[in-house]
Amino acid sequence: MTQRVPINPGLVEWSGDNPGIYLRERADGPFVTLALFFQVVLSPHGRGTAMLVLGAPDQAGTWPGTPNLMITDNQALARYLIDGFVVNMPTFRAKPALQALAVLALTDASTERQGHRHCERVMSGDLVAEMAWERLGVPFAVEVNPGQSATGTHQMYSIFVEAKTATIALGGTRLPGTVTDRQLFGRTISTAFLAFSETWVKPVPT
Amino acid sequence: MPLGVPINPGRVCWTGENPGIMLKERPDGPWSALALFFRVAWSPQGAGIALVLYEQPDRVASLPDCYNVVITDNQPMAQFLMTDFVGKFGVFGEVPAFANMRYVPVTHANTTGDPLGNRYCETVASDALSVDLVWEKLGPPTAIEVAPELSGTGQHTMFSLLVESREAAIYVNGKRLAGTPQPREQAGLQTTTAFLYFAESWISG
Repeated sequence: MTQRVPINPGLVEWSGDNPGIYLRERADGPFVTLALFFQVVLSPHGRGTAMLVLGAPDQAGTWPGTPNLMITDNQALARYLIDGFVVNMPTFRAKPALQALAVLALTDASTERQGHRHCERVMSGDLVAEMAWERLGVPFAVEVNPGQSATGTHQMYSIFVEAKTATIALGGTRLPGTVTDRQLFGRTISTAFLAFSETWVKPVPT
Repeated sequence: MPLGVPINPGRVCWTGENPGIMLKERPDGPWSALALFFRVAWSPQGAGIALVLYEQPDRVASLPDCYNVVITDNQPMAQFLMTDFVGKFGVFGEVPAFANMRYVPVTHANTTGDPLGNRYCETVASDALSVDLVWEKLGPPTAIEVAPELSGTGQHTMFSLLVESREAAIYVNGKRLAGTPQPREQAGLQTTTAFLYFAESWISG
């Protein structure tokens, strides 16, 4: 990473933490459960917390009939993240679950860190959604250009920490699937990751 | 930014937030008060927060004589930051106060405001001691990547998201400390000595 420009002239869209867990039932199968957690410190819609859980990503139904929902303390921010970012991410692109997603009000949130385990928990009334990462690896820095980023249009900086195992639970029920491997810029890592200090920048048109 | 290697081969030393305020009573005078706030998401010593306050930077003294103090919920992390980073951040490691900082536990912490709005505030307390760091007249966020020769330690590549503040204050138990932010240059950027730094990562090697 040499010859960098110290001052990025691009427009900063949002910044914060953005860990995720993508689960399959078999290594060559489709993703059966997807979840993203957002702890946003800066955005056009202010700060906020949001957890997206798609327990049935290929179904258009939503909570309470189907385990697809978002829980947030900032509805405008949550909609901005889904419409501007999540729908463009390859893993989430064209997923029917995003079409009519219930967005519930967050009433409580907590983070637990213990050794090689990290857990994010959010509540909406009596409903609890939980993402847990275990067997954490060594952090590494990622810096990608628009051609490499998940949206295809942004530069993105982040610190990734791989998790060898992870679970997603909604309403006390563990959702199906396990962590599998994926390729990330030539490195084999798992489909569960912590992503800290993540910043998304819209490049200046050339 | 020219981008070639998406995965940085360096070692991540810590990542999180690191805003600060440096105040002088006159441009050619000494620093009258200094403060750094850390909200660390990952470090070798774990996560946590720490507020570093030099109420009297020119004194080798701490509590109960003055509020040269580190308020933290993770003392090993705070000591790691003080030794490996703050001590190398120019004036923060050079002032006499750095030599004798007492560590006290966090009993309350709160963040208010919006970094894209008019005002942002970090409040940290340890029992009867309460410190408010207030940043106002905020500028647009700018992503920066500082090479080792230009970074605070002189040893690390530093990625961060800078929000400049042109008006800032440090309050200790409700009393505003003397001084105002000063102009400064960072990596060729004309800015001030009051800054919000989000998504900050320090990489070695």
